[in-house]
Amino acid sequence: MFRFLVRRILGAVVILLIISAITFLLFYVAPRDPARLACGKTCTPQTLALVRRNLGIADPLPVQYWHWLQALFTGRDYASFGRCPAPCLGYSFHYHEPVLGLILNRFPTTLSLALGSAVVFVLFGVGAGMLAAVKQGRTVDKVASSASLIGSSLQIYIVGLVAMYYLVDQWHILSRPQDIPLTQDPMGWFKGLLLPWFILALIFTANYTRMTRSQLVEALSEDYVRTARAKGLSRRAVFFRFAWRGAMGPLLTIFGLDLGGLFGGAIITEATFGLHGIGALSVDAVNNNDLPMLLGVTLVAAGAIVVLNIVVDALYAFIDPRVRLA
Amino acid sequence: MSLSRRNFVIATSVAVGGSMALSACSSGGGGTGGGTAHAGATTYTGASVTVGTKDDSTGPAPEVNGARKGGTIRGIAPDDFSHLDPQRIYFSWNSTVANLYVRCLTGYKIAPDGSMKLVGDLATDAGTMSDGGKTWTFTLKNGLKWEDGSELTVEDVRHGIERGFASFTTEGATYLQTDLTGTTDFRAQYKGPFSGKHLDSIDTDTAKKTITFKLKLARPDLNFTLAMQSYGAVPVKHDTKERYDKDPVSAGPYRISQHSVDKSMTLVRNKHWDPATDPIRNAYPDSFAFEFGPQALAQTDRLIADSGDDQYAVMAYYGIPAERMQKVLTDPELKKRTINGLLSGLYYYAINTKRVTDLKVRQALIYAWPLEQIRKIYGGPSAGDYASSILSPDILGYEHADVYGKLKKPQGDPETAKKLLKEAGQLGRKIVYAYPISDTYNKTKVVIENALKAAGFDPVIKPIDSTSYYDQAQQVDNKFDVMWFGWAPDWPTGYTVIQPLFDGGTIGNGSNNVSQLNVKWVNEAIKKNAVIADPKKAGKAWAALDNKIMKEEAPIIPETYQRRFYLHGSKVGGALFDPLFSAFIMYKLYAKA
Repeated sequence: MFRFLVRRILGAVVILLIISAITFLLFYVAPRDPARLACGKTCTPQTLALVRRNLGIADPLPVQYWHWLQALFTGRDYASFGRCPAPCLGYSFHYHEPVLGLILNRFPTTLSLALGSAVVFVLFGVGAGMLAAVKQGRTVDKVASSASLIGSSLQIYIVGLVAMYYLVDQWHILSRPQDIPLTQDPMGWFKGLLLPWFILALIFTANYTRMTRSQLVEALSEDYVRTARAKGLSRRAVFFRFAWRGAMGPLLTIFGLDLGGLFGGAIITEATFGLHGIGALSVDAVNNNDLPMLLGVTLVAAGAIVVLNIVVDALYAFIDPRVRLA
Repeated sequence: MSLSRRNFVIATSVAVGGSMALSACSSGGGGTGGGTAHAGATTYTGASVTVGTKDDSTGPAPEVNGARKGGTIRGIAPDDFSHLDPQRIYFSWNSTVANLYVRCLTGYKIAPDGSMKLVGDLATDAGTMSDGGKTWTFTLKNGLKWEDGSELTVEDVRHGIERGFASFTTEGATYLQTDLTGTTDFRAQYKGPFSGKHLDSIDTDTAKKTITFKLKLARPDLNFTLAMQSYGAVPVKHDTKERYDKDPVSAGPYRISQHSVDKSMTLVRNKHWDPATDPIRNAYPDSFAFEFGPQALAQTDRLIADSGDDQYAVMAYYGIPAERMQKVLTDPELKKRTINGLLSGLYYYAINTKRVTDLKVRQALIYAWPLEQIRKIYGGPSAGDYASSILSPDILGYEHADVYGKLKKPQGDPETAKKLLKEAGQLGRKIVYAYPISDTYNKTKVVIENALKAAGFDPVIKPIDSTSYYDQAQQVDNKFDVMWFGWAPDWPTGYTVIQPLFDGGTIGNGSNNVSQLNVKWVNEAIKKNAVIADPKKAGKAWAALDNKIMKEEAPIIPETYQRRFYLHGSKVGGALFDPLFSAFIMYKLYAKA
């Protein structure tokens, strides 16, 4: 287990380094100059050079990248911002604040949104999938299957706006989506995120219903399940101990990736409901040509996926005795 | 100013005929202000800017009819304000809120009909000019205080201006810095006040409360420049340099009490602000609470629903998007809750005079251009008014002119265009039209292409990635004949439009003279007009020059003065369109009982 973890963590660090280098490169390939944004209307070459120095982008690309890596461990002094303490992900060009602080500030919103919607889509998605698999070919199955087909073809930016218009603005059934910190007002937090949770979960639910159903249907037709049944085990025991366990592996992998993706920010959901998570931050970073922020959110998003993958792989060993961590 | 890249990104991410004052600078010319509140052609009221007297500069500001004190006005916007430090403010959406806490030597007093008077804000009047505009003196009012109760002095005013030279205030305006040093590379002459040195070209007299500017160039309209928030006062004692952008000190009626970046900002009363010193601002609500995040459609739907606290809300700077215009304008109840006005500045198409050298071909382009079809794509009459001259109606001295009869034939006049092309012997001439890619401009290019074909041109359309559009269009050796463009002046005089757009001396990569017009008589006329001391005479001279340039050089195709609509909640009173910043005038709003 220890060797497995060390190997995977080292691998993760290499992946993140590669991702940061690619992001760095891509940013400079794009035909946009972040210095022009802060250079005012009568942007003279002198002012432009000054802004570049201020932003720390006057050096050649490899030097910039090296400085950025160094700052992660040693911190960095910026000409026009002051000291950015280690681990320094840089200063945001747009917000004029350390990137890490801004990301940490936004992370609770993203975490609340991701975990909340995960609870909803796992409960409803996996539940409906199980039901459909057990009642294969019957009305419940048909309803669940077609509902999931409709659900998976919906778009958050349409359903979200329609739901908000009716449920919030017209009928006043739900509260307006907002991100109130859990620690500040638990009830406000819950009410503020209820609609985003369900709307974000809607699309995932559909996928999980379909996936759970197909995995279970397949598992239920396996030889070992038939054998278990022939041995005279109860339906319930066969289902949960054999079929369900067999179907869980692929589901867990997908869940790990999905959750990791959500930790990197649910861009459309956040934009639709005006929430201030990592997703909104990444959109702003792109719009504002904000390289340090872009690097920061990209690494957080990639890091979340990488870490959750490690977790999922470790969990695999517990679910499936055939898998051994070595 | 030119439509900046940031503005442009925001502007093109939404449909054009919709949403926000995309151009606009911290100060600028305005629309027809309280013009007709219904969608449709606006009757121009002529120039609406004048320079006020000492009496006009004396506070308090005239009361808003029916206003009451107390309550909270809420502002909703998709994004936070990008800068709070006055020296770093240029864009109108920042200025909208900065008006609540930043004060400059001069400012605009806006009447309910939208007309504006340049008056003394911190100063007792709009300034005294001597030496043909090379020397300007202002005297500070008594009773001016910062939010901590300390006195606002001439040193603070000078400090604000000198901060504009610092290495971290690169976003703000640079007019005054250039005028004071005589060079656009002004930071090479002076590094800002933090080294302990002051500029030689500014004199202050603490006892007399006067500040005197000794300019290298004559600037008879310097008092307009000084109304820009880039030249707002900053307390010497409380200047935190770069950090000041996070926590500026107020001299206005409100101070910032809470700010969570990109989430919310609250302003509460500054108890040390004395209304008797302020001829411009009313201050009815106890506080302003801004919420950032809701996108254009979401914020519009909230204001349409008008429930709970949203009854006290206004769109902070992002207007009604095109998708909801119909709904809002056809519902009398909703329409009652809108304000609208023209954006300051002009949308136009620059003709590259280096490539299209024949005047007749340029005139043919103007005749051929399909303004009506273009405006239809923007959303029809509610999206704006046709433009027919370089200067817009809000510019001091504006005179209505329509050299090419575009208002009579907004759909284009292919016959006349063809006739001119024939005369020039250039029938079938290739015209390369460049525009920044967006949903809207992808549509307008079609009608433009059709109109050019009908007029006997051979159009070649060049869509350009919006993020690099300006870099490409503002290259001297670009290969474009006609380019989409826009310009919003920094203050409403002819100089701020005609000089940057048509002074041949400014031509270079990145220059705003995109037409690359370099004609001796135009350059000379600009120089001559720039030093006319009497604002009225100067206004007349600029209007005449506008007309002459259009007639004799035809360097641009004026397109539209665009219109913005904003919604407010049912319990918001005092809603008025700000002709300067093209949004609500925050300091005139009040919360109804």
